[in-house]
Amino acid sequence: MKIEKEPITGNYGKFEIDGVKHRIYWEEAGEGIPLVCLHTAGSDGRQYRALLNDKRILKKYRVIVFDMPWHGKSSPPENSQVGHYKLSTESYISQIMSFIDGLELVKPVVMGCSIGGRIILHLAIHFPEKFKALIGLQSAGHLDPYYDISWLHRQDVHGGEVCGGIAYGLMAPTSPENDKFETMWHYMQGGPGIFKGDLFFYKFDGNIGTEIKKINNSKCPIFLLTGEYDYSATPEETKSLADTIGIEMVKMKNVGHFPMSENPEEFLKYLHPVLEKIN
Amino acid sequence: MFKKLAEKNKVRNSLTIMAQYLNTCFMISTVDDEYLVSIEKGNVTNVEEGPFVMPSYIFKLTASKDEWLKFLQSTPQPGSHDIIAMLRRKVLKFEGDLHPLMSHLLYFKLLLASLRPTESNNEN
Repeated sequence: MKIEKEPITGNYGKFEIDGVKHRIYWEEAGEGIPLVCLHTAGSDGRQYRALLNDKRILKKYRVIVFDMPWHGKSSPPENSQVGHYKLSTESYISQIMSFIDGLELVKPVVMGCSIGGRIILHLAIHFPEKFKALIGLQSAGHLDPYYDISWLHRQDVHGGEVCGGIAYGLMAPTSPENDKFETMWHYMQGGPGIFKGDLFFYKFDGNIGTEIKKINNSKCPIFLLTGEYDYSATPEETKSLADTIGIEMVKMKNVGHFPMSENPEEFLKYLHPVLEKIN
Repeated sequence: MFKKLAEKNKVRNSLTIMAQYLNTCFMISTVDDEYLVSIEKGNVTNVEEGPFVMPSYIFKLTASKDEWLKFLQSTPQPGSHDIIAMLRRKVLKFEGDLHPLMSHLLYFKLLLASLRPTESNNEN
């Protein structure tokens, strides 16, 4: 059988983030408005495989997905050690801005899910003029820990097994099994302590309080979409966030915490109208 | 309510390989009723229904009968579809030595979900 080639190009590139050399992997497809997509904690850019193959989106957008340092095919930074990884708000912002600057993207749209859905709020607070629009999937202003995340990195528990088990439950029971399995598999392939290190941002350092009120939707349009089965960033929490900003949110039926990966077909029904509004 | 865990079916048989080194005993509680579940090499070998005088187990999962029934729907509602979702809503409590549970988290999630009345769960 002849191979059905996808329209995705994979790239490696070197650049500095906060003065430290990094080797980063990213994928892209399409032409037009740059749409930079941010993956969830402990996973990688493969979560956006359906977007990178969606003809309707690729006609208008240059979809770009990078693996964060330590994730997917991106290398850990120089002089790294196992067990010391902790994502801070500052370093997360730096890697996104350095990547955008490095590719010389002008006013991209940035869409992030989960930790990505949180960081777009920080971007909206600090750099609204830099973006054409920001899209938050599974966005919430803050999250208090509801389970003991030390289980995610212990030498007497297989990290891939436990991280996969955590991710599995965050998906909707109605999502297609193959896409759920692939989404879980990405988690099973993460390095030791990486998911936990990302959650330091998600559950502690990246929590936003009253600063949310600084977000001005007229400076940079913000769109928020949340899957109904997500218990990490619930639709109620996104609604509260949307109310504070003064915008509407979209509650997506039959999806959970990883809409673009666990049920792309359903997710794209919600995303297309949003992307068509952006000019 | 949980006695069927000891019955073989296609789904439960397929789970054994995910827990082939697991030997444990855990309690499922609905507050009014208790079920002591024994696992050997990933197979549920026995489910004993209480009441118990001095039950011995490694860890315990407690939720009301109503919450367990919501979890066991063929397509559970958001918040009832996963044991961590129930933990998040504070309607399920994990107690005891959680190492067997957390080191085999997916196995236990799928084992409990195997009680849902779906087509694949009913295949022998």
